[in-house]
Amino acid sequence: MRNRATTSLSRGKIRQSWSKYNLYNLSRFRSPPTANRTFFQQKWSAKAISRAYHGEQVREGQWKRMFSKRIRSVVPMNVADLAADDGSLVSSGRGLGLDSEDKKSRTNVRPMPFTQMAFAPLERRLDVAIFRALFASSARQARQFVIHGAVTVNGQKMRQPSYLLNPGDLFQVDPERVMYATGAPKNKFERREARLERKKEEKEEEATAEEGEAKEAKPEAEAKEGEKENTRETLKALMAQAKNAMSHEVLPAKRKQELRGFQKAVRRVMSRAGSSSVLTDSLENQFSELTLLLKGKRADKKDSKKSGKERRATKDEDSAAAETAEVDAAPGEALSEAFEKAAKGEEVDTSELTDDEFDVLKRALTQMRDNPIDNSKPYATPWRPRDYMSAFTFIPRYLEVNQNICAAVYLRHPVARPGAAEVPTPFGETVSTPAYGWYLKRRW
Amino acid sequence: MPPRIQSRRVSNTLLPYLSSSSSSPASHSSLLPSRQFSSTPAQQTKLRREMFAWLNTTGATLKHHVPGETNYVTGVVRNVMSDGGSKLPFPNNPTFFSETVLSEELRNEIYARVTQQKKSIRAVSVDMGIDMNRVAAVVRLVELEKRQRAQGKPLALPYARAIHEMVPVTPLSQDGERQTYHEPINDLPAHPSTGAQIFYPVPESRKFTRVDAGRVFSGAPAMDHETAAKISHPSDLAEGIMEKPNSIEWVGKGDNARQVLQPADVRIPHPQLVNFEIDRINEPLARRERAERQAQRIKKQDELEQKRRERAQARREDRTTKVEPADSRFEYHFHDTVVSKETTGPHGKGHLAPGRRYGVPSEDRKRGIIKIPTRVGA
Repeated sequence: MRNRATTSLSRGKIRQSWSKYNLYNLSRFRSPPTANRTFFQQKWSAKAISRAYHGEQVREGQWKRMFSKRIRSVVPMNVADLAADDGSLVSSGRGLGLDSEDKKSRTNVRPMPFTQMAFAPLERRLDVAIFRALFASSARQARQFVIHGAVTVNGQKMRQPSYLLNPGDLFQVDPERVMYATGAPKNKFERREARLERKKEEKEEEATAEEGEAKEAKPEAEAKEGEKENTRETLKALMAQAKNAMSHEVLPAKRKQELRGFQKAVRRVMSRAGSSSVLTDSLENQFSELTLLLKGKRADKKDSKKSGKERRATKDEDSAAAETAEVDAAPGEALSEAFEKAAKGEEVDTSELTDDEFDVLKRALTQMRDNPIDNSKPYATPWRPRDYMSAFTFIPRYLEVNQNICAAVYLRHPVARPGAAEVPTPFGETVSTPAYGWYLKRRW
Repeated sequence: MPPRIQSRRVSNTLLPYLSSSSSSPASHSSLLPSRQFSSTPAQQTKLRREMFAWLNTTGATLKHHVPGETNYVTGVVRNVMSDGGSKLPFPNNPTFFSETVLSEELRNEIYARVTQQKKSIRAVSVDMGIDMNRVAAVVRLVELEKRQRAQGKPLALPYARAIHEMVPVTPLSQDGERQTYHEPINDLPAHPSTGAQIFYPVPESRKFTRVDAGRVFSGAPAMDHETAAKISHPSDLAEGIMEKPNSIEWVGKGDNARQVLQPADVRIPHPQLVNFEIDRINEPLARRERAERQAQRIKKQDELEQKRRERAQARREDRTTKVEPADSRFEYHFHDTVVSKETTGPHGKGHLAPGRRYGVPSEDRKRGIIKIPTRVGA
């Protein structure tokens, strides 16, 4: 299917996409004028605008068959009201002039935005649901994920983007694809790094294949030496990457500072790498050791601190804000020292750290493990959200999403409530009402 | 409640793992792509120029997020400076809100309550103010996550962290505080038959309640005085219907047959909460007793539902014949085909019954007949 969903600036159509062009179109969108236009024209343009966003990948005939004029709605009930009155209060005293002020105020509820739900049947589609669960950066991309076999429904591979989810269906997307779809793209320097690494690996493989049999009896010690060299190299690569990122990307000044700090830390670690044996361990081992170690230290520290706690409690409230700001601005000497030590796998002395710094250290270490630098990935590493993503992130209530495993459950069909509609649509009622009218069998 | 200090999150922005919070977006001097081997300035249409101008000035704040705050176009366009950012993702649509999602800790707490403390989904739903469907889904998802972690499958942890920074979150309450409710749990679905506007004259001497209104909407005759006198409050019906769902009266004939519309007290997901409120109005002092009675009600309801599920399961198993051939990897399940009045319909042409029948066209070539799966078994 050819992608006709271009986001041109001249047309200014809004699409289900996270691109910055779309963001600009969204920001300058105005409802089409109604003055001097026939009702038919108004409906036509409203329909055209809203169909460009809602299911442009669905043929018009297909959508017409899906359309239903019946719109699901719910009213949140207040149990206290239900218990206090069995309904006879509302119906009583009509002829006696007993209408009280109280009764009038109860009828003052916000209207149901029914026509905002006109495109609710499309939200059942698998590709749209994947986009709504924030697993893809556009509905088109979600569709591609489904077609390429990266999506399962209830544990079975589903290759039909038009599959209509039933309430209770669990769909899951391959986490690597999601990270690719939502992460910042690589720049050309990172791509080059990846290319070089790949070539190097290929060469090594060839070499090992050639020499494989001859060198089988080599002693273990040499292998260890090699590992040490490897870690040195990875550190070097890390540093080079930091440099790359700094020199070629337009970065906020603060980031640059942070990067420079990181480079320094790496250099320091490298200079002592020869003496440190821990570096040869895998990252995973290092991390688990470290967290254990930190936990132990923490317990010691808490015991000694208990007496001073009350005194601190009063002070905390006013000083905490200042403290956080301080830590934000520049990680303290003690903190960076501790981080460096931690990275080397040495004993970490946490007694000098404040609570905040300790937390920061712990989080930093967790992140170092969860979000490593890996050039083989198709997105920029460490992973960071793509630009302008936050302007599009919302999760409607009819989905329950677990981002860790990139799985979501379609709980129920979207519904309208007083003053709120669950179908995410960028258009107001001036567009959605004529569009709803267009699709009715007996057109308005 | 004393003012809270937001826990600062380390966002996973760039290399330095010590980075404190995400990015103050810097204004970029030029984002315009330049041609590397040409000295002539790149051709820009007016629209593109305007777009990049907007992205560099007003839209610059949208490029990166601030943890714990939403960052929608509405905030920029309308210049809203509310705490936590604007709740409207679309500036033109005031009826769509970006609603909160469950935080990671809250999800784990729900899972612990259901699986370890063995609380029923209904009880957890009432305690935490979360829809029952959502509680069940959370348990499913956390279970799946645990399995995947155990298997060492790849996870999208930095992605999850970033999303929870961008979207409003319902946090888990601290010890000793009440859990903030996530969503309304007693949603009454609007029944199609209530769409009609009916003029129904009632004598002033008659007490006209929700039960009567339901009967009017479904076109049922008014109750006789004896049955009406037995119902002191519409919620009295809830228990009987819970025990025997088939006891709801039917009206109409043939295709037009329909069940009598029940009052809201019966149709809401948590009818026991109404009884709890009635208890509170009647006996404002006996607090402990009320709580006990409520716990019993929930327990009874859960037992009834469990029994119903088991009965349905047993019925399903009665209908299937299971065959497992010797040294076979598979177990085969057979269902007997049912060709009855219910499946073929009064004219014998209903599509639910299987097989080719005379006069029933095969519809698989027809326009609009869905040929892709409509259901995926769990």
